Amino acid sequence: MKNARILVVDDEENIRLLFKEELEEEGFEIDLASNGIEALDKLRGGHFDLVVLDIKMPGMDGIQALNEIKNANKNQPVILCSAYGEFKQDLSSWVSDGYVVKSADTRELKQTIKNILGI
Amino acid sequence: MNPVDLLGKIIEISHSNLELSSRITSILNIISRDMNSEEVIIYTFDKDRRLTCRYANQKSVLFKILNQYRCHVGEGIVGSVAQRRSPLFYTMRDIPPRFGCLFYPELDGRLENYKLFAFLPLADDSYLYGVLVLCAASRDTLHDADKIFLSILSREVGGILRSYDLILSSKKRISELATLTELGKVLTSNAEPNELLKHIALIIAKSLNATFVTIMLGYSFLKRDAQRFTYGIIEPSVQDHVEELEEAAARLLRAVSIKDCAPDEYVDSFMYTLFSAPIASKNRVLGTLTICAEKTGQNYALGEDGQYLISTIANYISSGLENTLLNTRLRDTVRELGDAQKRLIEQEKFRSLGEMTASIAHEIKNPLVIIGGFTKRLARQIDIDRTENKYIRIILNEVTRLESILNEVLNYVKETPLVAETCNINDHLDEVLYLLTSDASWEEIEVAKAYDSTLPPVACDSQQLKQVLINILINAHEAMRGRGTITIQTRQSAYESRPFAAISIADTGGGIDPAIIDNVFNPFFTTKERGTGLGLAISNKIIMNHKGHIDVENVAGKGVTFIIYLPAKNHTTKEELL
Repeated sequence: MKNARILVVDDEENIRLLFKEELEEEGFEIDLASNGIEALDKLRGGHFDLVVLDIKMPGMDGIQALNEIKNANKNQPVILCSAYGEFKQDLSSWVSDGYVVKSADTRELKQTIKNILGI
Repeated sequence: MNPVDLLGKIIEISHSNLELSSRITSILNIISRDMNSEEVIIYTFDKDRRLTCRYANQKSVLFKILNQYRCHVGEGIVGSVAQRRSPLFYTMRDIPPRFGCLFYPELDGRLENYKLFAFLPLADDSYLYGVLVLCAASRDTLHDADKIFLSILSREVGGILRSYDLILSSKKRISELATLTELGKVLTSNAEPNELLKHIALIIAKSLNATFVTIMLGYSFLKRDAQRFTYGIIEPSVQDHVEELEEAAARLLRAVSIKDCAPDEYVDSFMYTLFSAPIASKNRVLGTLTICAEKTGQNYALGEDGQYLISTIANYISSGLENTLLNTRLRDTVRELGDAQKRLIEQEKFRSLGEMTASIAHEIKNPLVIIGGFTKRLARQIDIDRTENKYIRIILNEVTRLESILNEVLNYVKETPLVAETCNINDHLDEVLYLLTSDASWEEIEVAKAYDSTLPPVACDSQQLKQVLINILINAHEAMRGRGTITIQTRQSAYESRPFAAISIADTGGGIDPAIIDNVFNPFFTTKERGTGLGLAISNKIIMNHKGHIDVENVAGKGVTFIIYLPAKNHTTKEELL
């Protein structure tokens, strides 16, 4: 699944750009969304092998988006990505398939993606 | 001397400043001479209302004999005169045989010398002070004028005795009042209970000339080290009686004396008088006041009415004492409340600071990731040998540093739940030490261990505890610049009477400047060139979350000892901690 389709969701344009360039180098096909609603639209419009979802976003935050995504398709793999290691998730919500702390060093992100995709 | 001159002389003497006994003796000498009476003797009452021969004219020969005997009112001629309060006059021939008690063996062959005996009560309209006895060898009759004159004289002498009595009792009252005033001053002062009680004991002892005064407080009332406050030294022979009397006074809610506790013969042979009274307020016994004085001592205050006096004093001090004790408690409570409030404000300040810090850190994180991320991409595109690449490395290093600071900050402000388990502190210490000392930089550091092998386990989050230990040990290592001795001790300890396990870690790194010692647990406070100032703040927070605390003992110029106190397991259960 070297050319897997990945949807990167982040409200920060330069983060989206960084992740896109870094992940494209790994051979993935990247699409972008700047918030939860846009992400849900894109997911309805086509298939993605993985969603990388920022937690803190205006409008619909990452946790809400995760629940919507999993409600629509519980087999959709999602990685949560946040600036720091703490977020409140109530017990009824869905659990993500992976969790990565945002860092300038993108190796952890890449490795987590590869693990989930089974590469 | 004519009767008027005589009376004048007597009145002059009675109003003089002479001692009581010399005044009376002078008067008796005059009577003896003027009335032609070889013996002029006065009986007065003892404390137990028995008549004793106390005064006589100078030339009296009977005094030495009579003064060995005492009689009750109604007993013998003297007793009979005292009872009837009317004079009796006899010649040797007509003394009734029933008054035989006059004829003590030593008087044999002496009384026969006298022809006339006169017995007069020393009394005014309401009080009787004693009996005046005259024996005359050279006359056998008294004219009516002489009798009237004698009765006037006896009134005068009664008056002298009475005023002396009044002076004595007012002196006593005044000294009681002075004692109470002094006590009042102390009770209304703002003294600490301990000081107050010592002071009270001292005042009472001084004013009553007591051998010792001891105040025992009920245990439930004053949770302090000392429950007994004593002035003087408790006689070992009296010790048992003191406790017995205290118990009786508290139980009966009234003043008791040694007489209430021991048989009469014993009390009579006893060297001391002993009184105990309850210090009670609204029928609640706060404690007891016990006074002991030597019987032979010059203390008229502790005689017959000692019980009355001691209960007066005990009553007097009870309310003041209760006020002081309540005041002290109140003061303690107010101080505790103040401290608690201060802590709350600190916590609140800290919480909002924490929230702000978290949100700032979060906002900074994204730009940092972007800067760092793209710089890394840039680095990959530039030849490794070029100067630009060196600059890029510098940027990346700084980004990495910033990121680790941010992580630490966020780590500090976030609420970390405890994963409590039963921990053996000694094992954890060894584990951490093994980890640290395997590094080469620890080669020149000597670690001295003094573990208490019986240290009970504590309930704690072992990961977090290890983090605390590592923080403190690394600080010690840095303070000593890699060379010195770290002494680690574990022991059982108590804080506010609860069991704690204490871990002390002492270094020889020169100590902390006393001016900044109060800041060491404050977040972002650091003395290191490259530190976040969060290590000890996080450690402190972790230990506080465990319901423990960290103490710092600092010897400037020598070293610092950090002491971690964790509640021992038998006190804080896992549930309590979570």
